[in-house]
Amino acid sequence: MDFESNYEIARTAEFLLSRNFTRVALQFPDELLKDSTRVVRALRDQLRSLRKCGAEQNGGNKDVRLFVMADTTYGSCCVDEVGALHVNAECVVHYGHTCLSPTTNLPAFFVIGKAPVSVPNCIKSLSSYALTNDKHILVLYGLEYAYSIKHIREALVEASKLSNSKSELEVRFADVSCSVMNSSDDHRSSTGLVEPAGVCTDDNIFGMAPDNRYKIGSLIWTLPEGHRMEDYLLFWIGSDNPEFATVVLTFNGCDIVRYNPKENRLVTDVSQQKRILKRRYYLVEKAKDANIVGILVGTLGVAGYLHMIHQMKDLITGAGKKVYTLVVGRPNPAKLANFPECDVFIYVSCAQTALLDSKEYLAPVITPFEAMLAFNRGSQWTGAYVMEFQGLINSSLVEVKESEEARFSFLSGGYVEDVDLQGKEIGKEEEGTLALANAMEKVLQLRDNPNSLKKGTSRSGPEYFAARSYQGLDMHYDNSLPEPYLIGRSGRASGYEDEKNRQVEL
Amino acid sequence: MVKFTADELRRIMDYKHNIRNMSVIAHVDHGKSTLTDSLVAAAGIIAQEVAGDVRMTDTRADEAERGITIKSTGISLYYEMTDEALKSYKGERNGNEYLINLIDSPGHVDFSSEVTAALRITDGALVVVDCVEGVCVQTETVLRQALGERIRPVLTVNKMDRCFLELQVDGEEAYQTFQRVIENANVIMATYEDPLLGDVQVYPEKGTVAFSAGLHGWAFTLTNFAKMYASKFGVDEAKMMERLWGENFFDPATRKWTSKNTGSPTCKRGFVQFCYEPIKQIINICMNDQKDKLWPMLQKLGVTMKSDEKDLMGKPLMKRVMQTWLPASSALLEMMIFHLPSPSTAQKYRVENLYEGPLDDIYANAIRNCDPEGPLMLYVSKMIPASDKGRFFAFGRVFSGKVSTGLKVRIMGPNFVPGEKKDLYVKSVQRTVIWMGKKQETVEDVPCGNTVALVGLDQYITKNATLTNEKEVDAHPIRAMKFSVSPVVRVAVQCKVASDLPKLVEGLKRLAKSDPMVVCSIEESGEHIIAGAGELHLEICLKDLQDDFMGGAEIIKSDPVVSFRETVLEKSSRTVMSKSPNKHNRLYMEARPLEEGLAEAIDDGRIGPRDDPKLRSKILSEEFGWDKDLAKKIWCFGPETTGPNMVVDMCKGVQYLNEIKDSVVAGFQWASKEGALAEENMRGICFEVCDVVLHADAIHRGGGQVIPTARRVIYASQLTAKPRLLEPVYLVEIQAPEQALGGIYSVLNQKRGHVFEEIQRPGTPLYNIKAYLPVVESFGFSSTLRAATSGQAFPQCVFDHWDMMSSDPLESGSQAAQLVTDIRKRKGLKEQMTPLSEFEDKL
Repeated sequence: MDFESNYEIARTAEFLLSRNFTRVALQFPDELLKDSTRVVRALRDQLRSLRKCGAEQNGGNKDVRLFVMADTTYGSCCVDEVGALHVNAECVVHYGHTCLSPTTNLPAFFVIGKAPVSVPNCIKSLSSYALTNDKHILVLYGLEYAYSIKHIREALVEASKLSNSKSELEVRFADVSCSVMNSSDDHRSSTGLVEPAGVCTDDNIFGMAPDNRYKIGSLIWTLPEGHRMEDYLLFWIGSDNPEFATVVLTFNGCDIVRYNPKENRLVTDVSQQKRILKRRYYLVEKAKDANIVGILVGTLGVAGYLHMIHQMKDLITGAGKKVYTLVVGRPNPAKLANFPECDVFIYVSCAQTALLDSKEYLAPVITPFEAMLAFNRGSQWTGAYVMEFQGLINSSLVEVKESEEARFSFLSGGYVEDVDLQGKEIGKEEEGTLALANAMEKVLQLRDNPNSLKKGTSRSGPEYFAARSYQGLDMHYDNSLPEPYLIGRSGRASGYEDEKNRQVEL
Repeated sequence: MVKFTADELRRIMDYKHNIRNMSVIAHVDHGKSTLTDSLVAAAGIIAQEVAGDVRMTDTRADEAERGITIKSTGISLYYEMTDEALKSYKGERNGNEYLINLIDSPGHVDFSSEVTAALRITDGALVVVDCVEGVCVQTETVLRQALGERIRPVLTVNKMDRCFLELQVDGEEAYQTFQRVIENANVIMATYEDPLLGDVQVYPEKGTVAFSAGLHGWAFTLTNFAKMYASKFGVDEAKMMERLWGENFFDPATRKWTSKNTGSPTCKRGFVQFCYEPIKQIINICMNDQKDKLWPMLQKLGVTMKSDEKDLMGKPLMKRVMQTWLPASSALLEMMIFHLPSPSTAQKYRVENLYEGPLDDIYANAIRNCDPEGPLMLYVSKMIPASDKGRFFAFGRVFSGKVSTGLKVRIMGPNFVPGEKKDLYVKSVQRTVIWMGKKQETVEDVPCGNTVALVGLDQYITKNATLTNEKEVDAHPIRAMKFSVSPVVRVAVQCKVASDLPKLVEGLKRLAKSDPMVVCSIEESGEHIIAGAGELHLEICLKDLQDDFMGGAEIIKSDPVVSFRETVLEKSSRTVMSKSPNKHNRLYMEARPLEEGLAEAIDDGRIGPRDDPKLRSKILSEEFGWDKDLAKKIWCFGPETTGPNMVVDMCKGVQYLNEIKDSVVAGFQWASKEGALAEENMRGICFEVCDVVLHADAIHRGGGQVIPTARRVIYASQLTAKPRLLEPVYLVEIQAPEQALGGIYSVLNQKRGHVFEEIQRPGTPLYNIKAYLPVVESFGFSSTLRAATSGQAFPQCVFDHWDMMSSDPLESGSQAAQLVTDIRKRKGLKEQMTPLSEFEDKL
């Protein structure tokens, strides 16, 4: 693939000039970082040549300064606004795979790149698949294949003309919304998306709009009146990445096949993906039993993240649980295991990094949507799934169904108490004179086993720490004589010097 | 028709000496429900004529259809005894009215949990034994359970009619059979020597054994006959009783009693001469329609028949005559009233078994004295579905105090810990209900010593709970029931239509309540799991779930799944080491199998995290040969902090070791729940921490570094210690005639089972076979066996132990490896096991 066209140098330069940006941050994911110098050089040349023509027309254009950003704190699919602000950038050009999550402050321009796809092969798979089914087909694709969709569409029309049998075959294609994003300070009113053609200016944020308009990530499509998503078969062109997982989870009622352009193969078995949904269901059930919840801040850029964090906090405290907010950058098992008191983590991030496979984590990591299911009493898992948290902001927060029944936990197979209800009721009694007596009673109570730390038994961080067997330095010395000093280890962690001979033994 | 009213019943409830709470227990098909019918009939709830056919206590359609009892059913009965009958009763009583709270329990081993729930709330048990089949495996199991709960038993040798009609055995042979049955039962009872309960063995000559024919509704104890003959022989009743059993012979020719058979043809055993023969005679006469002989005989016996009954012929006539002459109800009632304890007697010694708290606090005393004025102590032993769908009655027993409509009660669930607020609710009772046959009657209140059903608490009680008054914050709960079976067979269920999920969730919730044993849970993979004791149990549960609790919404069930355990065969081949993610900390560990019997000891709770360390180290060093110091270095048990695996500290002089203990424990709890092979629970593994190298800065040796490392090193040590799978194994007991043995053996062989005991029942053509059978192979076992033996063999399976599978799961292609792959596939894991190199690090 041609370098210039792959990185859309010309289009980028035009965009930057048209908006008169002077400081621009170029954000590269790790795998494209090697090309960054070439891109900068090419872009600079292009800008210079364009400006020459421009200067002749109206003149007075300042030089555009370009900054390369790498190693983003969170997912590389999101625009790193904080990083860009460090250099006072006015705009971010984002390269590579993206989740197209709306930004808060800065406008962003996306260069997605182009992955090769064999159009005839794709058409063949598509039409043969269409023949075996009598449902309508909706084609969705990874953004890196967006450029080829036009060809595929044309080729398909061509093909159906040739063979009359396929005349009734109906195939719909999704459109890509845009590659430019304006900042939006008010995430409620608009997503800040600007459609080049000016079509998508409504404030439909996600999911089902009244007029059968659907949007997922950057793909949008409309279905004819009276059609539902369940009537369609989804045909995904692209690799098995988080983008695909998002589609599978969101439209879990539809049949989905995946065309793998790298191997030119149709993958009809997506059971592994469907399994994820069940697994998430389990995590929700598990989260219901949690007493301490950690909110992981997984983005500082996606519009509305602060609002979401506050909403989550309200939700969790409303459910009578303790909440802590943690900022750990990109989470990994070791980082989260530093908070063993948390029974569950809520990861507030963009849609495509939201699903963390929790198998390696000590405590499950769930999405805000799942948290809503788990902590909103009376809400039920209906099968609908929302990945992007923007979709949740508008949803009415707490529709408190005052259900009398205690909560049934499927993990323990029985009723478990709900802290809030209990707390309220008994808390009232304790106020007043009895409170002191009760407190005293607790102090004097014999803990049956102080050194058993069981997950999910403590209500708050301090309580958890109080139950730990290690309480700090032990100052009980048997004799008061000073200890003779010892020579410590030296060397590197991979093998200290005193262990060198041990290494030989092994 | 009903001979009593709710008011009458309520009145006697206050006379705690006139109450008997009893359960009817037996092996499957020995005639519990049929016999219960006679008692119910005597109370006037069903007609005498149909007693034995109705099976009043089998209220469910499927119970009637299959002819087995599935749920235990309680029923309160009211009787008025005559003064004469009570003449020789020495205990305390309050008038002649008696209240019998009777619970009919299922006999099939899969429903043993129902029996356990029934036993908890009763004080006496009527053990029913088929006179031909004798004491069977389930008789033994339930009897042991009863005695463990300090329930006093009385015995009835049932199906006497088979002796007379079907087998036509002569008197001496019958006596020997009965004697053997009673002996067998006594052998079991004798093992429970209990100074408080006294002698629990049963003796016909003391009136604690009855002989009954449930189907025909007649029964007798030796008391009946002793009374009859005492006057005739001019001796007192007690003397006569003794003569009617054991080595006492009578020769009518010489009219002399001897203690040996004199050899004269007319010399017969007392029992044969005076009990067996007369009955046999009457039955024969009735069956042959020799009415001319019958009426004078009946007159002599003092039996008067109604005129319309005189026209009956053959069997109905026989039934009617026998019912009138020796009514089952009076014999059994008398036995119960005389020999089973009243609540006030029973609670004196049962309080130790029941109450968890200190035995000298007011609650223990109130239970001990069965004090209606004391604080409320009520144990809910099971939940009964109410006719209004989705709601449940909480069925239980009041041990002290009174429970009344509108009372605010403190509900202490099974996970309640005194002093904490966990699993504790304060709610009010909407209604108190007593059971009278098929209908329920609301009463104002129910005092201690009685069984009761409560309305309005079902949303806070899963299976059982202890209830007390709102203000009684110091009360400890009543001890949880211990089941003799465990839920080892599991199926995954899902709904056919995805949108039915809420219905399924609700249904499972209700199912979990309706059965004392079933466990409804969710797997890591997100599948809903129902676990039960056996195939039949699950079948019933699934049927209930779909039809009753989900309103017929369709469900898909998976094939039955058995859970396995992971263990190790040897000590780790080397000390394995894992590094923390930052490479600054290293854990060295070894795994070894726990000593034989230790895992079971932990299961039974003999050794556990809550023990006094000194006591624990004593048991460990004396029984299992542990070093005394080592026994004190146990860090924890797991999974769930109580499981049969442990971590032991073997390090010497490691700095900061205490600091990472919690993290290692957390890692261990996690790893022991999901073993390295197939993420099944571990069992019987001891992990020894051999050495630890830690970074000098606390921040670099925090939980984040140590917890994942502990998990990895545990997996590594498991994998280097010859890991093996354990599979659950049933103990199967089959009773069958000789000609069926071939079929039984071939089916067992085909199912990987092996027979370890085969005994012929003395005096019968029946064989008793005991075998071990892997639970995995048990699906369809009953039906295959039935087919192979043309229905003559009926197996009873109880979970017995975990058996190690000899093949190596790490060797590809082996049976265990295949199994591991299957489990992993089902759980949605990578089919390949994670290799050792992923867990173990090199220096």
